[in-house]
Amino acid sequence: MARADEPSSLIPSVPTDNASIWTMEEIYDTLLVPSADGLKLEPSLATKWVQSADKLSWTFTLRDGATFSNGQPVTSADVKFSIDQNRKEDAPFYFLDAVIKDIKTPDAKTIVFTTKTPWSPLPSTMALFANSIVPDKYGGKSAEEFGGAPIGSGPFMFDHWTKGSELKLVKNPKYWDSGKPKLDSVTFTVVADSNTRSTQLAGGQSQINEYPPYSTIKGLQAQPSVKVDPFPSSEVDYFGMNTSKKPLDDVNVRRAIAQAIDKEAIRSAVLFGNGQIATTFLSPATWGHSTAAGPTFDVAAAKATLAKSAYPDGFKTTLVTAAGNQNSNSIAQLIQANLAKIGIQVTLQTLDPSALRDAKKAGNYDMTLGLYTTDVIDPDEIARFAGTNAGGSQLLYTFFKSDELTKLADAASSDENQASRKKSYDRMQEIILDQAPYVPLYYAPSVYSYSKKLQGFHPGATGNYFLKNVSLEP
Amino acid sequence: MTRWLTRRLLLAVPVVLGVITISFVLMRLSPGDPARAALGDKANQAAVDSLRHQWGLDQSLWSQYVSYLGGAVRGDLGRSLYFRSPISALLEQRLPVTLALMLLGALFAVAIAVPLATAAASRRGGVADHVTRALNAVLQGAPTFLVGGLLLLFLGVKVAIFPAGGYPASLGGRAVALVLPALTIALSIVPLLVRGLRAAMAESLTSEYVAFARSKGLGERVVRRRYVLRNAGVSGVSILGIQVGALASGALVVEQVFAIPGMGSMLMSGILNRDYLVVQGCTLVFGLLVVVVYLLTDLAYARLDPRARLA
Repeated sequence: MARADEPSSLIPSVPTDNASIWTMEEIYDTLLVPSADGLKLEPSLATKWVQSADKLSWTFTLRDGATFSNGQPVTSADVKFSIDQNRKEDAPFYFLDAVIKDIKTPDAKTIVFTTKTPWSPLPSTMALFANSIVPDKYGGKSAEEFGGAPIGSGPFMFDHWTKGSELKLVKNPKYWDSGKPKLDSVTFTVVADSNTRSTQLAGGQSQINEYPPYSTIKGLQAQPSVKVDPFPSSEVDYFGMNTSKKPLDDVNVRRAIAQAIDKEAIRSAVLFGNGQIATTFLSPATWGHSTAAGPTFDVAAAKATLAKSAYPDGFKTTLVTAAGNQNSNSIAQLIQANLAKIGIQVTLQTLDPSALRDAKKAGNYDMTLGLYTTDVIDPDEIARFAGTNAGGSQLLYTFFKSDELTKLADAASSDENQASRKKSYDRMQEIILDQAPYVPLYYAPSVYSYSKKLQGFHPGATGNYFLKNVSLEP
Repeated sequence: MTRWLTRRLLLAVPVVLGVITISFVLMRLSPGDPARAALGDKANQAAVDSLRHQWGLDQSLWSQYVSYLGGAVRGDLGRSLYFRSPISALLEQRLPVTLALMLLGALFAVAIAVPLATAAASRRGGVADHVTRALNAVLQGAPTFLVGGLLLLFLGVKVAIFPAGGYPASLGGRAVALVLPALTIALSIVPLLVRGLRAAMAESLTSEYVAFARSKGLGERVVRRRYVLRNAGVSGVSILGIQVGALASGALVVEQVFAIPGMGSMLMSGILNRDYLVVQGCTLVFGLLVVVVYLLTDLAYARLDPRARLA
């Protein structure tokens, strides 16, 4: 598989880059695993998981017969050690395990997580890559030594890693899911240039090309030996407004802007017709997604809404995007043209991506673009990140304040009934649609082009490759 | 000669110090926090602060600078923030690859430029001269990534003589894998080399010493090799030496196109990830390379032209 980026680390609690994460998911197991469509959890190292009656603990039972690739059985001590690594405050995904108060291991097959508050999303965090199960105390090695030759219980074993070039995994003959994996080995190569990745796939040098540009999809589809699939992903791209600054603090201004944006034109220009235009902020790849329609593209209605605001004749503002990002440039220009029709004069600016991040966090911008993905399939992570002030991003840096949104997120996470949780998430999505601190633009697919000889390749919505299901025809 | 060499080496010290200081300052002045870039938007501030502390980024700029200089003198260029590996270990893996690419590129450039320049200079205004000028114009205008992409497509896929990028484990495989990238770099500096050699050869062909050599009855081949090429070669060596910067920047682009794990790809990763020490380490190495190549160029020039004095 040819990928643009190189992994940075294979220690589960350390990296945040996809190249590392999706490689680790082939070496290690987690207690649970998301289904390919991202809508439910399935057993992996754990076969049973039950919440206590007082809702303050979860008990997981390990499957029989699971071992690491070195033959050592997977036990509760390994699980406790592994998850404790992500419970350290300096771990990047600590925030997802912060609710865990204690981990007890009454026997070798049982793990009991006690939580600080009733916490329904916990099973989904046991499918998080950062909670991957490693041998207790890294098998007696330091974390760094272990990361150089990792041992997991997953379908593939680490073989070698030539930094900058390739990382090879080979079949784990001790894998608990008998009959899998079907592939003997998988080699991840680092090929930064998208044209080179396509060329290598066409020439048979690789069998999977990760993320070919959307503009090349039609051309790739015409190649006889290659398939192209836009798999569902959890990515949501949005247009954000700084509600702490005038005139974007006026809800009718924001509503007018939401009505003035032609999302279909953006999908056509940027995704070349792939993906879906977005409505609510929770992606369809999660069960929390609401089918509420939200504002439709209507310039006349947008003008009428703007007329109700304190700025009926429009105003001048800026839209800042990340430099060097062609998609962002295209979207910004389209939105600039859309808003000009209702009297809003937008000046486009670009900033280095790191500088843009700093500007967003400090509130030094008017309007911007961004995207987010989820790390777990439970809606809680994104409901908080993109829907509450204290979720880590000040509501996607829009600085929109709403106690109701926070109360809804808290109610949903402590409720064990999925149907009533869904009602809370539906209400959150209604509020965001109505108040429009940001406008979700599109749900981006996860595009792969691959050899027609490859069977069973279906990456999950959270990015897992699930290579154990893949086979290659001769 | 010893005095000259000593003086040149001493002069290299402020140059290298300047390179270190400028790259240090530029990276630190660039907006964006490498710890936040590494951890992503969702990590909490405690995680970011902890990483900043681990990487020494919470110290004053002066402390960081002095610490870096002290380490550099001892050969310790720090650890990559992104790869969590010593920079020296990364350079050990990647520098030979880039050097091999640059050297092969230079050899290819000479192998292409000399015959072209000779053909053009032999009959000025002739067909070969015009074709060479046209080729020069095309190559000078064609971006490196475009030339590389086209070579990859035709020779790596359509005709499939060479691999379509990548850098295999075997020595033979690597040699073959470097051909197209080196050719791409070579083609980027051929125009300048051809122009310089052509002018020098044309001047040499009409010189008195060549007329004298011919009048002595020496064959044309001997005349061209012993008198024309040797004299024109002196300016060719100078031009090639000055092109070390172009060779390095060409390597940076070509490594991305052909997926070669050299210093170019390491530097690109360092810039995008705000990996300060990777950028500083690569800049330092490239700076040293330029100093060494200029030194060798002057030595070669003095060797080829007895009239030249090392001053």
